[in-house]
Amino acid sequence: MIKRNILSGLMGASVLAAGLGGAPAFAGDITITMAAPDWPPTRFMKEYFDQNYTSPDGHTTTLDMDFIPWPSFYERVAASLTSGEQKYQMIVTDSQWLGAFVEGGYYMDLTDRIKADPELSAILKDLHPALVSAYSTYPHKTRAQLEELGDAPADGVHYYGFPQFPDTYVTYYRQDIFCHEGEMAAFQAKYDTNLPCSYEDWQDTDWTKWGQVGEFFQREAGEMLAGETLSDDFYGIAYQAGKGYDFSTMQVNGFVWQQGGDIWDETVKGAQAEGVVNSDVAVAAFDEYLSMLKYMPPVNQTGQMDIFVIQDLFMQGKVGAIIDWVGLGEPVLDESASTVHDKSAFGPAPGSRQADGSIDRTGNIGGQPFVLTTWNSDEVVNEALNVVKWWLSAETQIEAVANGGQSGLRSVMAKSEYNGLRPWNRAHVEMLDWQKDVWHIPEFFELLTQQQEEFDKAITGQISAKEALDAVAKFQQDLLEDGGYIE
Amino acid sequence: MADVAKKQGGFGAWLFDPKRRGALLVTPAIVVLFVMNIFPLMWSFGLSFFNYKASSLKVPTFRGLSNYERVLSDERVWERFQTTALIVGSSVLMQLVIGFLLALMFAKVFPMRRIVLMLVLTPMMLSFVSVGVFFKLFYEPTFGIVSYVINFFTEDHFVLLGSPGGAIAGIVIADAWMWSPFVMLLVLAGLVSVPKYLYEAAEIDRASKWRTFRTITFPYIKSLLLLAVLFRTIETFKLFDIVYIITEGGPGSSTETIAVYLYRTAFQFFKTSQSSALAYIVLFIVIVLTNLYLYAVNQRAEEID
Repeated sequence: MIKRNILSGLMGASVLAAGLGGAPAFAGDITITMAAPDWPPTRFMKEYFDQNYTSPDGHTTTLDMDFIPWPSFYERVAASLTSGEQKYQMIVTDSQWLGAFVEGGYYMDLTDRIKADPELSAILKDLHPALVSAYSTYPHKTRAQLEELGDAPADGVHYYGFPQFPDTYVTYYRQDIFCHEGEMAAFQAKYDTNLPCSYEDWQDTDWTKWGQVGEFFQREAGEMLAGETLSDDFYGIAYQAGKGYDFSTMQVNGFVWQQGGDIWDETVKGAQAEGVVNSDVAVAAFDEYLSMLKYMPPVNQTGQMDIFVIQDLFMQGKVGAIIDWVGLGEPVLDESASTVHDKSAFGPAPGSRQADGSIDRTGNIGGQPFVLTTWNSDEVVNEALNVVKWWLSAETQIEAVANGGQSGLRSVMAKSEYNGLRPWNRAHVEMLDWQKDVWHIPEFFELLTQQQEEFDKAITGQISAKEALDAVAKFQQDLLEDGGYIE
Repeated sequence: MADVAKKQGGFGAWLFDPKRRGALLVTPAIVVLFVMNIFPLMWSFGLSFFNYKASSLKVPTFRGLSNYERVLSDERVWERFQTTALIVGSSVLMQLVIGFLLALMFAKVFPMRRIVLMLVLTPMMLSFVSVGVFFKLFYEPTFGIVSYVINFFTEDHFVLLGSPGGAIAGIVIADAWMWSPFVMLLVLAGLVSVPKYLYEAAEIDRASKWRTFRTITFPYIKSLLLLAVLFRTIETFKLFDIVYIITEGGPGSSTETIAVYLYRTAFQFFKTSQSSALAYIVLFIVIVLTNLYLYAVNQRAEEID
């Protein structure tokens, strides 16, 4: 009796399995769950995907985006990956996380698939090299190293990510005050140089002028600004100086690189931290960064002036010019959120004037690539790569850019209509060429957290630039020696 | 088949026997407790003797007590313990003073007492995150209300969170604002339990107010005050949310409590074994404090008896 039941059960199961196997309506359904920060560039991707994506392989594909607020994004993604829940098929990731999650076995090496797929290879070739270097390579390769190796995909390089949103920092400024005739004349009289008003003026703005702008526009309530009496205190400039995540490192690195200094360079064998991180050049660069904080809103004294705080202060009309990521530009133009929506303009970020008169604007790249995870079936991987190709097609990229996104494809950025799509596009293209990235090694968060703490002490006036960088260099040297990165 | 049914019926009858009903009812709770608390606790205790990193594929190797040694010899850990002690000491003291004064106020009858009491209790019912965000905005020097009010007198922005001392004060104020009502409730319970005839006798004896307080009121609230101190000490020792939201441990690391550091070690640096060792050290301290708390509870029970 029991044997007969088992037999008939097995037969029933076989029939059911055969029936399901032959049902094409279910076989083609694919859901790609993607971890994504909750902000306009990813919201647009979801919206546009739902309206326009058609799978070239005939699947019915759903993009299920798990929108996570920025402040907890890293922790949520890291917790999901390390818990082993295998929830995500794709992840929008900061480039610095590559090492930790590649070494952890979570991010998929796409090198062979890219090499086997002419369409993906073409996309990689078309991407700006700064983005390939920062977003895709682990172990990290610099742009110069990639150029030496030849066309992408190059031998000996491992590729992991494609840009979801390539970001750079640019200058946001108030055109109504920077182009006010009275203010321009007063600035000219005081500093014997012009107040930057047009895009071209910002192209010629270095840190010295940035500081002058800060000093010039620092006004108290009751004073005049562009012909109007101020009801509140007003500040000329602001850039990121926050303790959280990387909210000072991104700006300080720019100062250091522009003046010829360096951070610990993982791409150079035998590179040291001590003597480099705390070199005289780096200390002078950090000192210059600190010297301009006095012209910024008082929140800088708390070490909490992060990218969102300066964006907010700019939108409240309390600051004349800020340096912030392109990705935070869209709300500034939103009439319902910003008091300066009709007065804002954008230019390249300032840089360091070189001996030949040119300006070095080297900066730390922002934005995020998306990556695939390692536990997906071939079918899902192929479909995820179809999504990558769709997102990085010229038509989708143009739509994304027109709706607050950005493109990293050189062919798209070269299109005549590109600069007119959003007011910061011209500055973004110019800044992209100057971008480098911070460390990609698995220990990046420990390096970053300690550095942020020391920078914060200097920003809040507890220690000097030299003391901060000496502490950073010593910590990094010890940690990297422990980790076997420095012999 | 009949045998099977009989056997099943027999098992059912055995299972639902009134003798086992109690055990049956508590089993789900015990299973949940084991899965959610006891097993992770034991697992992390085991991990603290290995060199495991949750973000790495490397096979963990046994390290003995070296994680404990490393944690206890880490200067940063001791700095965080000092910061925690400073915040705990200041905050609990402030909560005691304010809570005690509030209790004295509410021990008397006055118009709208119930409504005011309800309002005073509100902070205790809010979430930590809400309180953190409120105070972060209150302290904001450009547009925050604290700076705005002080600016009215000094004509300068008030940057409370700009120095280590100020930032600690900011956290202590937020924590005390939230939890002083809890101390008040405990003390109030003690105050209302004092028999009125004792006060009447003191009045007849013309005892001074201080003497009345010292010899009648204080003995009644003494053990409740001790309870409040211990309970708030244990809770404040684990303070995380308010610190993380208001200062993120800054300026520098001056307000980074041991709980924040533990979180960073475990979930940002992924030093899983090392953070487990630190967590057990913190747990040991909390257990010591809890035992003191239980001792105080027992004392109170004896007094009531």
